[in-house]
Amino acid sequence: MKKHLLTISLLSVASMISAAAFASDIVPAATQKQAVLLQNATIHTAANGVIENGDMLFNNGRIVEIGQDLNSNSAKIIDLTGKHVYPGLVALSTSLGLVEVNAVKESVDNREVGFVNPQLSPAVAYNADSEIIPTVRRNGITYAQVIPTGNGIAGQSIVVNLDAWNIDDALVKTGPQMNLYWPSIRWASSDPTVYKKQLESLNKQINEVHQAFENGYRYYLSYKADHDVKGNKALASMLPLFEGKGQLYVHANKQKQIEQAIAIARKYKFKLVIVGGYDAWRVATSLNEIGAKVIYTNVFSLPQRNDDPVDQAFKVPSLLKQAGVPFALAIKADWNTRNLPFAAGQTVSHGLSKEEALKSITADAANILNLKDIGSLQKGYKASFIITEGDILDQASGKVEQLYIDGRKVDLNNRHNQLYQKYLKR
Amino acid sequence: MININKVISASALVVMSSSSFASVLTPNANNKLTALTHANIFVAPGKVVKNATLLVENDRVKAIIEDNDIPQAALEIDLSGYTIYPGFIDPYTQYGIDYSFPETKQTKPIYFNDRIGGNASNDAIHAEKEWFSYIKPDAKSAKTWINNGFTSVQSAKLDGIFRGRGVSLSLENDIPNKVIYQARSHQFMSFNKGSSKQDYPGSLMGSIALIRQTLSDAKWYKENYNKPGTLSQPNEIEFNAAYEKLGNLHKQHIIFETTSLNNQLRAARELAEFDLTPTIVGTGNEYSRINEIKALNYSIILPLKFPDAPNVADSDSAKDVKLAELRHWERASSNPAALAKADISFAFTLSGSNQKEFWKALRKAVNAGLSKQDALAALTTNPAEMANISDIAGKLEPGYKADFVISKGDLFDNGKIYSVWLQGNETQIHDRSLDNLAGNYQLTLNQIDFDLGLEKGTKLDASLSSGEQQIELDKVKYDNERLTFIADLSGADYQGVTRFVLWLDGKELTGRMETADGTEYPVTAKRIKLDTDSENLTSKNSQDSDKKTSFVSKTTHPNVAFGFDALPEQETVLIKNATVWTSEKSGILKNTDVLIKNGEIDEIGQGLKAPRKAIVIDATGKHLTAGIVDEHSHIAINGGVNEATHAVTSEVRIGDVLNPDDVNIYRALAGGVTTVQLLHGSANPIGGQAQTIKLRWGDTAEELKFKEANPSIKFALGENVKQTHWGEKFSRRFPKSRMGVDALFRETMDSALEYEQAKKDYDDLRRSSKRKIVAPRKDYRLEAVNQVINGERDVHIHSYVASEILMFLKVADAYGFTVKAFTHILEGYKVADEMAKHGTSASTFSDWWAYKFEVYDAIPQNTCLMTEKGVLTSVNSDDREMMRRLNQEAAKSMFYCDMSEIDAWNMVTINPAKQLGVDKYVGSIKQGKQADLALWSHNPLSVYAKAEKVWVDGKRYFDIEIDKQKQQQVATERQALIQKILTSGTKMKQKSEAPIFKEPEWHCDTLFHAWDKSHNHSH
Repeated sequence: MKKHLLTISLLSVASMISAAAFASDIVPAATQKQAVLLQNATIHTAANGVIENGDMLFNNGRIVEIGQDLNSNSAKIIDLTGKHVYPGLVALSTSLGLVEVNAVKESVDNREVGFVNPQLSPAVAYNADSEIIPTVRRNGITYAQVIPTGNGIAGQSIVVNLDAWNIDDALVKTGPQMNLYWPSIRWASSDPTVYKKQLESLNKQINEVHQAFENGYRYYLSYKADHDVKGNKALASMLPLFEGKGQLYVHANKQKQIEQAIAIARKYKFKLVIVGGYDAWRVATSLNEIGAKVIYTNVFSLPQRNDDPVDQAFKVPSLLKQAGVPFALAIKADWNTRNLPFAAGQTVSHGLSKEEALKSITADAANILNLKDIGSLQKGYKASFIITEGDILDQASGKVEQLYIDGRKVDLNNRHNQLYQKYLKR
Repeated sequence: MININKVISASALVVMSSSSFASVLTPNANNKLTALTHANIFVAPGKVVKNATLLVENDRVKAIIEDNDIPQAALEIDLSGYTIYPGFIDPYTQYGIDYSFPETKQTKPIYFNDRIGGNASNDAIHAEKEWFSYIKPDAKSAKTWINNGFTSVQSAKLDGIFRGRGVSLSLENDIPNKVIYQARSHQFMSFNKGSSKQDYPGSLMGSIALIRQTLSDAKWYKENYNKPGTLSQPNEIEFNAAYEKLGNLHKQHIIFETTSLNNQLRAARELAEFDLTPTIVGTGNEYSRINEIKALNYSIILPLKFPDAPNVADSDSAKDVKLAELRHWERASSNPAALAKADISFAFTLSGSNQKEFWKALRKAVNAGLSKQDALAALTTNPAEMANISDIAGKLEPGYKADFVISKGDLFDNGKIYSVWLQGNETQIHDRSLDNLAGNYQLTLNQIDFDLGLEKGTKLDASLSSGEQQIELDKVKYDNERLTFIADLSGADYQGVTRFVLWLDGKELTGRMETADGTEYPVTAKRIKLDTDSENLTSKNSQDSDKKTSFVSKTTHPNVAFGFDALPEQETVLIKNATVWTSEKSGILKNTDVLIKNGEIDEIGQGLKAPRKAIVIDATGKHLTAGIVDEHSHIAINGGVNEATHAVTSEVRIGDVLNPDDVNIYRALAGGVTTVQLLHGSANPIGGQAQTIKLRWGDTAEELKFKEANPSIKFALGENVKQTHWGEKFSRRFPKSRMGVDALFRETMDSALEYEQAKKDYDDLRRSSKRKIVAPRKDYRLEAVNQVINGERDVHIHSYVASEILMFLKVADAYGFTVKAFTHILEGYKVADEMAKHGTSASTFSDWWAYKFEVYDAIPQNTCLMTEKGVLTSVNSDDREMMRRLNQEAAKSMFYCDMSEIDAWNMVTINPAKQLGVDKYVGSIKQGKQADLALWSHNPLSVYAKAEKVWVDGKRYFDIEIDKQKQQQVATERQALIQKILTSGTKMKQKSEAPIFKEPEWHCDTLFHAWDKSHNHSH
């Protein structure tokens, strides 16, 4: 009976998709075949400052050399006088490829039933053909972390490059990444009986979190004793956390939640990344003690407390900087991911330097993912970069003209441009 | 013999005639005459007669006798040392109402109510009810009031919007016929639809609209119902019980319950439209807007409940407590004093108070500066007026009901209620005889004088002493005027243990003692001096006024974090050497000066001279622009943004529910925004009337209104109005498709036209005919639609896809009006030609898309394509966060489709100003326009730009430097208040206590049920 129902709903999804055409017809670029030398650009390396009149040689998808006055006999030469080169932007904490249209539930695949789902991975659901991806790419974003959402342990996240046929050529290998959404009351009720239930449920969920890790830890102990341990596959997927190979991403904003997450990380020696992080600057000492990092996702948010300074959400990155907490910026979003460079730009008038702001969406973001060959422009790194007319962080000037991933020149066309071109002809 | 001259009436003005006095002297077996002698009598607030007699005949006050020379026929009760107050009156209760409204069998959503007995068409209207019909005295519940000294109440079933006519009655447990003092007192009202299951109204503005329509209907009904032709004419008028009873509302008073200060002011303003001034059940924070209350001239009924301190012991939960809440904790008890100081009449009610702590709270209010006289008035004469019983209750004058309270000590200090008299019958709260017993007596034993001291503490203490000698008394008991104890009287030569039994007989103790050998001796103890309170009530009163309460909190405008200590004033400012973005044909002017004076842009030029006393700002490197105008926002609104319960709700008005306390006003100012159109949501095809405001942070709700703006209204198309995302229950309401939306518009407009015609036809009638023929009923809903058709009210229509945009253009063409603006209009680029031809405009998002199916074809080049085709285009926020960055949103059109700087900037200034009909006043920098300006640190279209100074009407409402100070002040004040709570040892709320209700952040499609406080929304 159940199966039958499933078939029907699948059918309706199929018909829906064909009608709406949730698929882009932009062809992924082929592997780099010829070396390319960029000349006379302002190169923002995001690692070693800015090179004026800079040149960059890349071949086989990697940066061969970067500096000034480079030469190559075989390379195709592109003169970029007056242009800027930046590393391809890295968008953390997105639902790209999992959510097409949020209100069309048939097109939403980022959320599961249940509170403890460590075994889930977006890799199996990732839609490389999402119409959203080319529109995001167009703003300079080359890599994205794709995360499941939910309440509790929602599953693992992955990293993809944004120009691919499917997950297999999209996936960028990283260490395992587990996502925990710290339980919270979404809307505290003013009704005493309802509120009481909410509190009970919150406490129950926090206990479940602790129980889940304890179960995972027991599994890990058994596994250490005998690698052939039988048992729950879901628990097995938590092994890398206990082995120190993976990172735990805890989605939390309030100080108390972050402190609770730190306590868990201390207990099991987890590598911790706080996602959200509105109050993270208040907990800087503890975060630094355990080497935790922060993905700050609230630049485009209101102050989270009524009496907070009007610009609090804009200021947090500079507060993290002052406190010495490693951080990156992100917008927790789907289509809206494309505004990432402007979120970084917004922090510049609130305490970050332009270079720091750029790093927060390139090198520092890659650093959080422990990826050693993306996010900055240096020798040996992937040739994933963008060429712009001006300042990438500023919508008033930062038009993206070209974008490369692994040395492949990516088509910047997208659904929006196509419709634009069509109606220009009307 | 009584000397007639010594009998005075309380006011000393009413001199009793000898004939009426004679009845006192005439013995009458049926007359119960009681003289309460030697008491301090509060005849009325501020009028004390000391050591006097209150003479009660049956259930009435007969006289106040100053010299205690009482009629012989009177039973004397000596109240030496006691105080008598008039009985207290609670003007707002549900006491003794034995009734429940019938429950409907319909399932939700319920669009139409069950019609019973000629009721109104809305189940929240019970105006026809007269609650005396359902009075059934209830001794048990009466006790709560009586124990606190109340003797009478005004009562009604507290349910619904029009709640019916209240009844004022005594709390005496007798048949209703005897206890009802005023069968028809006042009409009770509220905004809360209560037990009504009918969907409408689902929002606060819906409740207000329903009140407006109902009051208007009642007036119309009264004017038309008795016209001779009403039953025979084609336009006959149907019977309506509710309207009938509301016909004489002017002769009644209105008791209006509210749950917030803003709602009080709304209620008063709404009723003022109909020349009605209510009494409003207050909320305890009236001190925050006392001038507005004073101006609206309403009286207040106050529950006496002061909040426990927020839980600040836990530093995490303390962070989430608002400054406003901390302030209120500190100031709540001073609220009654603030009302008194402002000379606003108020009464206290037990409803909403903690009944066991009522007097504790009242004394707290007195300690916080409320004079005892005002406090007493708030319990007696003021509520007597509000309950329409001031001729028989609230005072102790001859002829008034014998409803009074006897206390020992000053009730407003630490006195205690001993008994409460209801209609001449005493209900004892505390045993007065025990109190009578206390004192010192001279007891003579064996010719030795002893001093017997009886002291009443938590238990009775007795001591016997003679000179140096102290004799311990033990086993002291007192019951029913019988005192017993044992003593060792060996010092007086009685061996062993001696036992005493003494009776309190008036002022003496008489009885016996039994010695060790069993001999009994008579004993008499004469009172030496009475243990009276030697307090002087009036002198104590005067001390009160010296009492000062010290506060660490401030009160600001508005009284929340970031409010102003004093409202900003118009300044004369010369801004020099700025890059001026005029949003006029002159474009961007470099190195230009702008002079602001008298709230206007006085002069624009180079090298302008600063007038005397002008503030000169060197704006070298800075950019001056007109303040940003946002066509679409939902900030600063209370009680719901959608009246989603009908497809057409053009009668509701956002202007009725402005919330001047919303911190988002200040936050938006910080983003350079100065003018905002607050729109109804998009839940129905014809939504509510919009309100354009200026962000005059700190001003009143009324002052926020941009009075020159065009009247406007929200219409909507697409998924939201089809109720697509509302769940399966919502399958019955038309329309459910875009086809139906078109049909609905046409049907509604046809009805509106018919209505208008009917009104015209009636107006054309001769006077004599008008007297016979029923006038068309004023219909606020259709009137607003007519205004649209007649071009008197601008439509801003929520829209996404090309088909629906074309559809509505055709509707507008068919009915002959121009659509002022399509809002959202994400597929406007597909039909820009048609839009331009119609002459409409567009207000869109810069880059939103893919959040629902109907926006899957949205593109960020929309603005360019529409502008290209000649459609006036603006960019709006519809979001309280993005609203602060509209300058950046405008710049996105440069990013996506190479729009020019000037065109981009116009999209957030002059273009939206035109859409709101305010371009004559704001939206550009032009001599003579209102000085609504923003000074930016950078090119305003840059992500790096910050608004540094923002003026509205030449008043600086935001300044980035002052903001830094405010941030510091807010933090400091919070800490001071938190420390005050922590060091005072005051009671704090439990951590598990539910938080104070917080409204959601409204969006277009927030479906919020204002009364059960549930909500949901999807974008």
